Amino acid sequence: MASVTLTDVRKSYGATAVIHGVDVDIADGEFVVLVGPSGCGKSTLLRMVAGLETITDGEIAIGDRVVNDLEPKDRDIAMVFQNYALYPHMTVATNMGFSLEHRGTSKAQIAERVKWAADILGLEALLDRYPRQLSGGQRQRVAMGRAIVRNPQVFLFDEPLSNLDAKLRVVMRGEIKGLHQRLRTTTIYVTHDQVEAMTMADKIVVLNAGRVEQVGAPLDLYDRPANQFVAGFIGSPAMNFIGGRITPGGFVAAGVTLPLPAGLPAGERSAVYGARPEAFALAPDGLPATVTLVEPMGPETQVTLMLGEHQIIAVFRERVKARPGDTLHIRPDLEAIHLFDAETGARLN
Amino acid sequence: MKTELAPRTKVLVYGLMCVLLIPFVFPTWWMVTSSVKPISQIFAFPPDIIPRSFDFTTYGRVFELQPFAQQYWNSAYIAALVTIGTMLFSSMAGYAFARIRFPGANLLFMVVLLGLLIPSEVTIVPLFQMFLSWGMINTHWPLVLVPIFGAPSVFATFVMRQFFIALPVELEEAARVDGLGRFKIFWTIALPLARPALAAVAIFTFLHSWNLYLEPIVFLSSPDRFTLPQALTQFTDAYGGALWNVQLAAASMTALPVLIVFIIAQKQFVEGLAHTGLKG
Ligand SMILES: Nc1ncnc2c1ncn2[C@@H]1O[C@H](COP(=O)(O)OP(=O)(O)OP(=O)(O)O)[C@@H](O)[C@H]1O
Ligand SMILES: [Mg+2]
Repeated sequence: MASVTLTDVRKSYGATAVIHGVDVDIADGEFVVLVGPSGCGKSTLLRMVAGLETITDGEIAIGDRVVNDLEPKDRDIAMVFQNYALYPHMTVATNMGFSLEHRGTSKAQIAERVKWAADILGLEALLDRYPRQLSGGQRQRVAMGRAIVRNPQVFLFDEPLSNLDAKLRVVMRGEIKGLHQRLRTTTIYVTHDQVEAMTMADKIVVLNAGRVEQVGAPLDLYDRPANQFVAGFIGSPAMNFIGGRITPGGFVAAGVTLPLPAGLPAGERSAVYGARPEAFALAPDGLPATVTLVEPMGPETQVTLMLGEHQIIAVFRERVKARPGDTLHIRPDLEAIHLFDAETGARLN
Repeated sequence: MKTELAPRTKVLVYGLMCVLLIPFVFPTWWMVTSSVKPISQIFAFPPDIIPRSFDFTTYGRVFELQPFAQQYWNSAYIAALVTIGTMLFSSMAGYAFARIRFPGANLLFMVVLLGLLIPSEVTIVPLFQMFLSWGMINTHWPLVLVPIFGAPSVFATFVMRQFFIALPVELEEAARVDGLGRFKIFWTIALPLARPALAAVAIFTFLHSWNLYLEPIVFLSSPDRFTLPQALTQFTDAYGGALWNVQLAAASMTALPVLIVFIIAQKQFVEGLAHTGLKG
């Protein structure tokens, strides 16, 4: 096991730069999720750690070893690919033992390691099958088995669950997390699904267009996003954004004036008011808002409202019996209000 | 494609296929049956579909008139060498063109492909002079070397390259992470998965070598070095008249390995295709 340190890592394909200087410190045993929209460079970054992609500039270290010029096989990492990349012409057991075979491990030891991994992942009965004879979830497990038999310093996952259906994804999410809790191997996990990021990570790295937007624990990112991008990316349904002006009398937006939290820098300025759906509470003395859609979820109710001229989504713990056209009175929780600079998107409060 | 045909359509389709089969099967049937007929009956009209008499002595005479066993062996080992050599070279070259980026790769590939456009008749004279200066005339060397480094191999390289390009690159990346070097990746991952392409290459290379005619008659002069297509022209009587039935007996024996290669390679081909079912 080892730490992983990225220092000002850059990548260009010819003249196009896709990673613009990324600094990330990953502690030994940490589960770090790289998350961001499609095309932001998550896979590229992961593949640079794996050694499958050259590093244009900067430095990547695993433990205290700079690995920039090392081949993947010399970096002591294991990778799980999105399409699993199981060798189609080999059985599950051979697939899992393949890397050991090429490192001169004895047959008996390989068999022992494969059995150990198969035990953990519940693959004992499938060892003689070929990948084409497995279901999606089983293939996923074999791919993980192939990664863990070698007991590498770092696990790398590139969107390992995106080929599975929603239910299985939840199951496998739990299994990967469980595996990490058991083995405590440093893990870098790439996904574009912020729910996966929130539920699995010790630490999330939010990437956007080849830059790190914010690094932090899931709930820190959720509660105190550093900028409007992170605020909008983390959380589902997404945070409501209302554009307007900060004034001494409150936040003035089209058709509505919202209360402001204390401790803001003095002076009027244009800004973006951010409130998560659950930051609104029903209150008789709150702001009037017109209901356009009610979606009962069971434990909570999701309501789409017009607040002034802004459409917002609010989630209430109680059952709301309103119907489209009705007026609800809502009050934002001032503790949970985020204000962002209208131009740069940087956090103001 | 799992549509069940209605019984009537089925009968119709199979009937049509049987009719279409006739022009393909008839020449072979004629060759085999004529090899056991007396010469006079071969050209009888209408032809006898089933011969009236069977005379298998023609098969014995094939071996009396020519060192046919030796010639058979010549053809067989040359075709085998050519097939193995071509599979080896074309898969390596195809893999290199598909996966290794080196300066001028595309240009080089174009140059290689141009080799397909040059008919062998054009190059046969310079080749003859080259092999003459190497002292290889009336040996089997030209028949082995020319196909392995010539047009059939170029085509095979093209086929292999296309196959390797289509192979998911993640498999090889997984192998790199698993600790394999370039050659081992090629040998243990890419090549086993290329079975269908290799089978196709094997079929047409073997056939090409087995049927090679121009090169043997240019390069070979002693009958015990002849290959089969060349030997087939030698079954004549003292006056140069063709001994049709003996010749057709030799031709039937010549065609036999082709049939066997087809059956074996076809099985490989289908199994190989099933193997590449990467993702479901
Ligand atoms: N070989 C390449 N040549 C040029 N540009 C590339 C190459 N590979 C990737 N890119 C570019 O680099 C950027 C990052 O790609 P990358 O695959 O890392 O995105 P990603 O964050 O993994 O996206 P996704 O969630 O869709 O997988 C993209 O804009 C992509 O177009
Ligand atoms: Mg990706």
